[in-house]
Amino acid sequence: MDLVTVKGLSKRYGGIVALSEATFSARAGEVHALLGENGAGKSTFIQILSGAVRHDGGSILVDGQDYRPANPDAAQARGIAAVFQELSLIPDLSVEQNIWFRHEPRTLLRTVNRAEMRRKTLALLDKYNFPALRPDQELRRLTLAERQIVEIAKGLAKDPRILILDEATSSLPAREAEWLLKLTRQLAAEGRLVIFISHRMAEVRAIADRLTIFRNGSTIAVHEANAVSDNEIVTQMIGRHLDRLYPERIATATDRIALRVKGLSSDSRLSGVDFALREGEVLGVGGLQGHGQRELFQALFGASKASGTIELWGKPVSIANPRQALTGEDGIALVPEDRRGQGLLLTKSVRENLTLSVIKRFTENGLLSRQKEAALVKEMVDFLRIKAGTPEQLAGTLSGGNQQKVIFGKMLLTQARVLLLYDPTRGVDVGTKGEIFQLMRDLAARGYAILFHSSDMPELVHVADRVLVMRNGHVAATLEGDRISEAGILRAAMLENEAA
Amino acid sequence: MNAFLARNRLVVLAYAGMVVLLLVTALFSPGFLSVSNMRSTVVLAAFVGIVALGQTFVIIGGGIDLSVPWVLNSAAIVMALLCGGQDLPLVWVMPLLLAGGAFIGLINGVGVAQFGVPPIIMTLATNVILQGLILVLTGGSPTPSAPALIQFLSVGRIGAFPVIALIWLALTLVATLLLSKAAFGRHLYALGTSATVAEFSGVPTARTTILTYVISGLTAAFAGMLLTGYSGQAYLGMGDAYLFTSIAAVAIGGASILGGSGHYLGTVAGAMVLTILTGLLPALNLSSGALLIVYGAVILLTVSIGSETFAGLGGKMRGKEG
Repeated sequence: MDLVTVKGLSKRYGGIVALSEATFSARAGEVHALLGENGAGKSTFIQILSGAVRHDGGSILVDGQDYRPANPDAAQARGIAAVFQELSLIPDLSVEQNIWFRHEPRTLLRTVNRAEMRRKTLALLDKYNFPALRPDQELRRLTLAERQIVEIAKGLAKDPRILILDEATSSLPAREAEWLLKLTRQLAAEGRLVIFISHRMAEVRAIADRLTIFRNGSTIAVHEANAVSDNEIVTQMIGRHLDRLYPERIATATDRIALRVKGLSSDSRLSGVDFALREGEVLGVGGLQGHGQRELFQALFGASKASGTIELWGKPVSIANPRQALTGEDGIALVPEDRRGQGLLLTKSVRENLTLSVIKRFTENGLLSRQKEAALVKEMVDFLRIKAGTPEQLAGTLSGGNQQKVIFGKMLLTQARVLLLYDPTRGVDVGTKGEIFQLMRDLAARGYAILFHSSDMPELVHVADRVLVMRNGHVAATLEGDRISEAGILRAAMLENEAA
Repeated sequence: MNAFLARNRLVVLAYAGMVVLLLVTALFSPGFLSVSNMRSTVVLAAFVGIVALGQTFVIIGGGIDLSVPWVLNSAAIVMALLCGGQDLPLVWVMPLLLAGGAFIGLINGVGVAQFGVPPIIMTLATNVILQGLILVLTGGSPTPSAPALIQFLSVGRIGAFPVIALIWLALTLVATLLLSKAAFGRHLYALGTSATVAEFSGVPTARTTILTYVISGLTAAFAGMLLTGYSGQAYLGMGDAYLFTSIAAVAIGGASILGGSGHYLGTVAGAMVLTILTGLLPALNLSSGALLIVYGAVILLTVSIGSETFAGLGGKMRGKEG
């Protein structure tokens, strides 16, 4: 019998239909992938399942009994736990305090039983072979990837029969992502149901038994994973045929050096980074997570301090803050890692977000010209095909892919022609991913120079002209041509004596 | 303009509240809507409104200025002392004290933006320090009466209009231009919405923050001088009421106390609401104690309406994701 059966599930937000007559069913002991573009209704669906949101219509049966949780606690009481993309952790608490938050083991006096909590934490981490995590570490000191892992531990601590993983791999580096996939199979083998959401087809293929495809709030198809091709899946997800994800890689690099970095070092993780990025080139930055990629991008953008020399278009520059980085035609722009925390004003309009960096350009005698602004906003919305009702729509109400496009637009409006893209496709649906890759190639062809980091290795392999592999805070190898492969990147990232 | 109304529903709500309150007050106190009474209401509201102008900028930027009472009080007392009841010294005393107010704002702003001192602590400290300085300076003795020119600015009239109302109108225009029509306004809203996003977008966050506190110092000092004219002389403690009312006017005017939203046009309505309330309560035979209770309740009510609106919006955003 199915563990979960959903029929006719509907949910509206004001005038917006998030789910309409969606169906879903899944068994204990399977990994069930949920696929769909951003905005297809996946998030709403799992928010309903996990008790965060209540549905308007339809029915959910869990174990054959009606299920309508009033809140996440009620969902957990029925054995359903979710690990969301947006983390629910408290920065000031330790790893173990976060894992057992509100479910701490108690002593007879009702105080927290620390010894027991430590024991249970270690047992949990051990049982599922968690990557190195210290139970007493303060959460704010952890990287995004490590926090994601804590979030997973927190979900498992509730010993759920149904575990929902919402893009849990998207912020994990390759090795940890692989661990999570193994973990997922292990959980299914224990008789649990894992509902798995990912935009990475390879992962879905690797672990899912079955998959359900959502589009526009409805269920489009349910497949046995081994009985359907990638192409069919993508076509059903986006409702049209997508020629291919990765654009043709036409070499457009010139001999002109756009960005030259020498001996870039910092207190945090950078030790002597050297490389040159040419005009018209897409230069990938890979390696295991935590080897200085993030620090490199932040230092180049002036968001953190570093020593060493940086030359833009042949001129030495010192970049003390992002404002200096973005100024002028020889500027340098960043599409940051944390879309919601660093990239977008969620409660402001698409227009205000797009023009924020260049608003001075629309002033005459100190006063803004709305016409000028509106014209340029329209141009950028059309150019990037940003799907917003009007430019006045709040950025926070856009889908992830469209939010990312707004950030691209904001940076393209500056005159900077060196672009730093830090994981620009994270949590972006497959259709928009293709558009972003195409955009990168188009920009390169127009003379932009692009430094591109992705936590999804195939993207580096298929999109970048060359790939820098970082290890211990410096460039351990530069891969070109045929040497760009996942195996090549991993080898350079892990082996000490790989020739540069 | 439609877009402005749509995104500033709370500002519109503040005006609706103001009108309702006016009508209710008129019901209990039939003389309330008379020209002379409206005139004095506007004059009183102008003092709140001018102090709250700077406070509006600071709060939109995500901060708060608690140094307002003693910046105001210091300006009032120093002006009275320096002028000794004469008009002529005002030529240099007014610019000097405006610069002084701006300087206190600069200290507040630099402390917050460059040294990372939390705004509450920073401005509370400057407030207390100023209070101490003034006590040392005056030894608690009364000051000379206000110069006639200042009295004209605060209680005089040009035709049918109180001079201070015209000043307030001009300041409202300037504030509106700054918020709606200048790059500074865009930067300010971005800063208050998310300092990190603003920084990553190349907004001069430190300079913008500092400027808000400078504006607040300016308006508080200016209001202090005008208020001296209104009461005829400067006295210790004359700014105390303006700590609460300046923040309350901003909150009632629809700004989020956490920053990133609101408008000075809303604060204008907020200042009016607070002043009308002070007129309504005596009409209902309520004491000044009751006034404070109502003040507090109104703040709680408006801020909770505001945060509910924001919470609703937040929920919607989470819901629409994927």
